[in-house]
Amino acid sequence: MAERLKIVTTTSDLAAIANAVAGDKAEVHAICTGKEDPHMLQAKPSVIRLARDADLWIRIGLELEIGWEPPILDGSRNTRIRVGSKGHLDASESALVLDVPQTTITRAMGDVHPMGNPHYWLDPLNGRRIAGAIAERLALLRPEDTDVFRANAAAFQKALDERMFGPELLKSVDADTLWAKTTDGTLAAFLEEPAIKGKVGGWVAATLPLRGQKIVTYHRSWVYFAHRFGLDVVAELEPKPGVPPTAAHLAEVAATAKAEGVRIILQEPFYSTKAANQIARKTGARVVVVANSVGGQPEATDYLALMDLIVAKLTAP
Amino acid sequence: MQQRIMLCTVPLIAVSLAGGNALAQAPGQPERSSGFQRSFQSFNPDISAIIDMYYYADNSEEGISHVLGEMAGFGHAHGHGGAEHHHHGPDEGFNLRHLELQFSADVDPYFKGSAIVAIDLESAEMETAEIETTGLPWGLKLRGGKFYSDFGYINAQHAHQWDFTDQPLIYKLCLGDHGLNDKGLQLSWLAPTPFYLLAGVEVFQGDNENMFAYHGEEPLPTHDGPRVGVGWMKIGPNLPGYHALQFGVFGATGKHQEEHDGNEDGEHDHWLDGDSTFWGGDVVYKYNAPKPYGQGDFIVQAEYVSRKKDLKLVAHDLAPQFVGNSRVDEQDGYYVQAVYGFLPRWRAGVRWEQVGLTNKSKLPNGETESSDPSSRASVMLDFTPSEFSRIRLQANRGSYKTEEGTEDATEVYVQWMVSLGTHGAHKF
Repeated sequence: MAERLKIVTTTSDLAAIANAVAGDKAEVHAICTGKEDPHMLQAKPSVIRLARDADLWIRIGLELEIGWEPPILDGSRNTRIRVGSKGHLDASESALVLDVPQTTITRAMGDVHPMGNPHYWLDPLNGRRIAGAIAERLALLRPEDTDVFRANAAAFQKALDERMFGPELLKSVDADTLWAKTTDGTLAAFLEEPAIKGKVGGWVAATLPLRGQKIVTYHRSWVYFAHRFGLDVVAELEPKPGVPPTAAHLAEVAATAKAEGVRIILQEPFYSTKAANQIARKTGARVVVVANSVGGQPEATDYLALMDLIVAKLTAP
Repeated sequence: MQQRIMLCTVPLIAVSLAGGNALAQAPGQPERSSGFQRSFQSFNPDISAIIDMYYYADNSEEGISHVLGEMAGFGHAHGHGGAEHHHHGPDEGFNLRHLELQFSADVDPYFKGSAIVAIDLESAEMETAEIETTGLPWGLKLRGGKFYSDFGYINAQHAHQWDFTDQPLIYKLCLGDHGLNDKGLQLSWLAPTPFYLLAGVEVFQGDNENMFAYHGEEPLPTHDGPRVGVGWMKIGPNLPGYHALQFGVFGATGKHQEEHDGNEDGEHDHWLDGDSTFWGGDVVYKYNAPKPYGQGDFIVQAEYVSRKKDLKLVAHDLAPQFVGNSRVDEQDGYYVQAVYGFLPRWRAGVRWEQVGLTNKSKLPNGETESSDPSSRASVMLDFTPSEFSRIRLQANRGSYKTEEGTEDATEVYVQWMVSLGTHGAHKF
């Protein structure tokens, strides 16, 4: 048997998906644990050592890792994983990306990402697409195992589809049609059709009551999840991306939240809940603290479990 | 400060890898495949500028630069000597550090290049201009041009990366304001060990005013370059999670010449030639807390440097009887500093330094001199509004052993610096 491939991913979410696709054909290491803010890391010597031996490097891209990835790749002296090589996969190339700036941007706008919002892994459809991209890249690196990688990716995607829509609904309608309906405004009506009614399960069924709800988030990191599940993010606690909340801005957010009838304030565990609690007291909204990455909370053991957890926390009574 | 580069990822692979069953874009939604923005790309180098200003005050009568220039064992060290004794140090009041204009880019599949132009009010100089390989096998990398030596920890960092406004004393006194930065070649090797091990050797032309000065004019002998050799090794154990640790050891040796004006009449009157060496170690521990905006981050770093100058008096206009005798200087020093992110975007730091724990000089006339160590304590508070700006308050309290006795001095810095443009991410 050939030696196992070595995969290093920047985030734990990419590692979770890579693990599902590579199976026992690779060992996968993630640099982020899922508990920290992935914008801010150090090019640690031990990480350079990991990168030195990697056959495949997978990053989120869209400049999420720009503050620490270049010195790791450079320091590793590993030509296999240089940007532009077969062994360097930018997962954003396979993703559907939101928040691509349409006007001139400056740094006065805060930490704006010029190529789009990098938190795209929180859209489960992107999780599905990343799995496909990883399988194809692994096939390029290890052609003799192409079938294994594709079969693993297909199994992951099937499991994801079932968690998303429920197995019953998938027996009647193919997954591609259903995914398209999640964002084109036809889902609710479609689920009421006589042939379909009562068949939906999974995350879609659980989040149906949330569709159309207005929410506030801490950082602009939940737009993808909101987009896929029909939530409407009306404000962020950060006045600008990467800038901590200020009193003046929180007063504005409280007013917006009241006016818009916001019931949920959503944030990651690594942010302080002080600002969210303040808005909650003023508006009666509920603060939902949930990991946005695998490993961010004990329950988020893999990619599907992360989505399970987010849905469970959002829909908890 | 970690920095970001804008508009610069360069995916060169043109193969579609999205996977067979990826969905097409849903109609009517603002989703885009990320290839959308590629038209912004260019092959222009990344360009950045660092603007770094500070207010400075001290309570020393003749200024801190003068005190440092008179320090027992370290003073009068520089080879330029004579009438043109100039101390670059802070002025009381407003100071502007040179504008650091940086360019960097991949050159081709084999090399990358970068340069820093340091622009002062009166002049510009080439701070660095370097080429490095990107594709050598076996973990090797070759670097050439004018660059900062990678020995120790702080030497290769630019002033804007330091956690304190000023350099550690031992660096300033041994190597001057610019550290060890010279024309030369470096070969480094990332070893295939189960932990991080990076080792490097460097050869430099030999152009450091304090340790590796070269004049090469009568009555001093000539030495062809390269005149300085440096070796170093860094080891980083595999610490879990948010912890990072790196140890280093280093040594350097080279030719050194000094010209002195003993009777202060504006003319050099004695000349020394010989070898100069230093060695030491460094350690850095960083805790990168999971909290955002740098809260809870913790850095401890320390470096020790010991140096020895072993010179011969080659000519003396006033005391020719000592010609041929040797002058040996042995000095050392260390600093230890810690910085902690006590609130989002706010950091506090302390630094303790001693120099001259060993401090002895054997003079050509057979006399020996020795002196007690000098010390300095510093405290620092800084605010980092974003990755691109920082405001810092720093105070130093030093007790310096000079040739005239002990001088105590307090210094205060208020620093304001920003980074413009596309500045590459910093190393560990």
